[in-house]
Amino acid sequence: MGVGGLWGSDLIAQRPEFFQVMKSPFSDEEVVTVKALRPDWAIIHVQEADQYGNARILGSDFQDVLLSRAAKKTIITTEKLVETQTFQQEPKLTSIPYFLVEAVVEAPGGAKPGICFPNYKTVDDTGMKAYGQAIKECKFNEYLTKVIEERDAK
Amino acid sequence: MLSRVKTMSEAVRLVQDSQMLAVGGNALHRTPAAFCHELAKLERKELKGVGAAPGYAMDVLCASGSISEVFFGFFGFENEYGLAPGMRKGIQEGLIKAIEGS
Repeated sequence: MGVGGLWGSDLIAQRPEFFQVMKSPFSDEEVVTVKALRPDWAIIHVQEADQYGNARILGSDFQDVLLSRAAKKTIITTEKLVETQTFQQEPKLTSIPYFLVEAVVEAPGGAKPGICFPNYKTVDDTGMKAYGQAIKECKFNEYLTKVIEERDAK
Repeated sequence: MLSRVKTMSEAVRLVQDSQMLAVGGNALHRTPAAFCHELAKLERKELKGVGAAPGYAMDVLCASGSISEVFFGFFGFENEYGLAPGMRKGIQEGLIKAIEGS
């Protein structure tokens, strides 16, 4: 697909497997094209979703709305399952519509030890340090077992 | 309409070896951590990861050895947590191919 904004970047020369310059089919203009990736799944954590997969991202969506459109299907994990009526009342606030979604999982705290604003606004510093330490000491499997056990205990 | 509600265990099993995953969120913000914890446990092989600024959740997949190739613009945690250590280790050991396109 064609993209603007790449003129002047060395990426055109450095990444020929992704970027190619072509002549526009509509004029003599040259356009930069980028090879599209087609993910099998987009995995997206949101603040609110209903049982059908309608999902609402509060705050910045980063690239998540685009990811849901690029992927073949989306899997939603959500802080909270809400009634469909919530979406019907404010349809414009739906970030990802149900027909793009294959599965919805209720996962409160599902972005921890990171942040999911406004549900939890700061990084879990203890959790992040434990993760860094586990990678350093090649103890990832022990870390993973512990994190999952702690979640299941709640 | 059909309910799409699944358990975490059912949802992660949708992902098969060698598939391409776009993982949402940004650095330490709203990344699907719980999903990736559960998926990491399955030890899927040769997954490809995609994200503009992947962070914690994608790093868990890197650390678990599930990812063999990752496409990104920036990959890290930022602030005092620095670069993503699982990704870094995987790349250094030659287990993960990094394709940076920012």
